[in-house]
Amino acid sequence: MITVSNEGPKFVIADVTITEANLSNSDQFKAELVSLLDQHKKIIILDLQELKYVDSAFLGALVSALKYAISLKLDIVLVGLRNDIRDLIKLIRLDKVFKIYNYAEEAQFAVNKF
Amino acid sequence: MQNCADKLGFEFDNSAEKLVGSLEYMLEHIAGNLPARADAEDILFKSKVIITELLTNGIKHAGNSNTWFEIEIYPDCLVIRKNDKGTPLYLVDPDHLPKVADENKKLISADMLNSLYAIWESENHIRFASEEGSFDEVLPVEQVMEHFGILIITCSSDEFTYTYDRLSHTNTFRVQLLF
Repeated sequence: MITVSNEGPKFVIADVTITEANLSNSDQFKAELVSLLDQHKKIIILDLQELKYVDSAFLGALVSALKYAISLKLDIVLVGLRNDIRDLIKLIRLDKVFKIYNYAEEAQFAVNKF
Repeated sequence: MQNCADKLGFEFDNSAEKLVGSLEYMLEHIAGNLPARADAEDILFKSKVIITELLTNGIKHAGNSNTWFEIEIYPDCLVIRKNDKGTPLYLVDPDHLPKVADENKKLISADMLNSLYAIWESENHIRFASEEGSFDEVLPVEQVMEHFGILIITCSSDEFTYTYDRLSHTNTFRVQLLF
């Protein structure tokens, strides 16, 4: 569901490989994200470009994983969002808690300045 | 509300595997029947997130009962209705009538981003409303809620209500989008 495609000194780029993220796979998604944080102890740049459908269960899992990342003094940064998924995140104002960039390269640049 | 120009009924068996297919079927119907005055991009985005959450709600709470959707397109609005005979919404106690007079507006969840309210308009009829919260520059993420289903529908719609019929044990969610 999540594969690491690149890694730098401060970050890991993790690609979400599913197209539908909902109630049926949100627990597994969260578990994989938490495992990545534990394993790498770096900021996760999460590339969501393959995702076409998300629901509230997925967003809940994402927020829960972000809380865990923050507790480790790390972060989860989102990139590659389709317009409608970005609009959904803005609708419930989660753009106030997630850093969102268009492309992984932009996020890498920002993360390296942290 | 003017006379209904188009109506679709759709039965969902509450299986997660059929969520996307069911969503696409209903969205296709809406896209093909919107009046010219509607902002199609806006209405289809809102319909997508609303129907997704209603389908998810069916998977979570309808149990063995199938879920019945109705999509009604009027010249001035779209109505999405979901009925099932599963577990009543947690705000309703099926065995006891609420004391509406004591408390008709209740804060059901809140963080620094959003507050969500349930407003009892009668014993078995609840309308949802949301307000944006205020916060400082640095938002403590640990305080952010993790359950967004009702909030997403409330923020996307012009009116969102829930009705529990105590005689037939039927839950009805009704969402209205104005054009």
